[in-house]
Amino acid sequence: MELNEELTAQQSLDLITKTLNNSRRDITRDGGKYFILWGILLAVFSLIVYALWKSTGRAEWNFLWFAMPLVGYPLSAALKKRSESVPDNLVSELISKTWRIFAVFAISVSALIMLSSFLIKDKLAGMFLSVSITPSILMLFGISESFSGILLKSPIVIAGGLVVGIGGLLVYYLSGLLVEQMLIFTFAGIVLALTGVLMKNQKN
Amino acid sequence: MFPKLDPLLHSELRLAVMSILSDVKSADFTFLKKQTGATAGNLSVQIDKLSAAGYITVEKGFKGKMPCTTCRITESGAEAFRKYVEALKSYISQK
Repeated sequence: MELNEELTAQQSLDLITKTLNNSRRDITRDGGKYFILWGILLAVFSLIVYALWKSTGRAEWNFLWFAMPLVGYPLSAALKKRSESVPDNLVSELISKTWRIFAVFAISVSALIMLSSFLIKDKLAGMFLSVSITPSILMLFGISESFSGILLKSPIVIAGGLVVGIGGLLVYYLSGLLVEQMLIFTFAGIVLALTGVLMKNQKN
Repeated sequence: MFPKLDPLLHSELRLAVMSILSDVKSADFTFLKKQTGATAGNLSVQIDKLSAAGYITVEKGFKGKMPCTTCRITESGAEAFRKYVEALKSYISQK
């Protein structure tokens, strides 16, 4: 792009629109990799917890979930450091803040419920632990995913959030299974990773 | 009567830089160069002009061991950009 003082009004407006669209597209594409990373982590952790819980019959394996941010945040930081510097705009910032709020709620609610059930040492601690947390996390996830979809103007992402949030809850309550509920999170991880793929492939 | 277009913004590269900066908190030189497709020298000159007019601020620092120039739109820059867009719209609507 070189200097050109002969721009017409229409050309100037077109230039502004094109530049803004390209910049927004690249910012959104850059955000896609974090969705893929956290989606894969969610799927992997849910499968690990599922396998361990299923083989030992102990719901305490759910404590492993707390290792997920410990793995995810350093990986996320490394990914940011290694990639080109891309600024934040309003949409990327809102999406990032939405998922940070999700993380704060998910971690604190899980910690409170797990710790209380652990300290109470109730016979039904395992049951209480598994029953109370999953619906809350599924709803939080569904809201965050759908809100991301609204910001990205993507009906597919909005639908993904609804499927996980509402569909996941239905599956959870209708199946009444404990261990297998981990597979709902595997599905949620896949939805999250697919959101990232959609973002990375976004066109103007 | 048509409003006068800001001559500082009525240039392809400067307008592109201002468009990008109007949408982000700040952007570094590498991002602006990639988005505009301009040469480093030309971009640098135009950034200096926008900075001299008080439309953007330029902060030179380091990202790790690499030098990094970060640009940010100022309030007066955002206002000038808004007025410029309004002026363009009035040109087109009165055609």
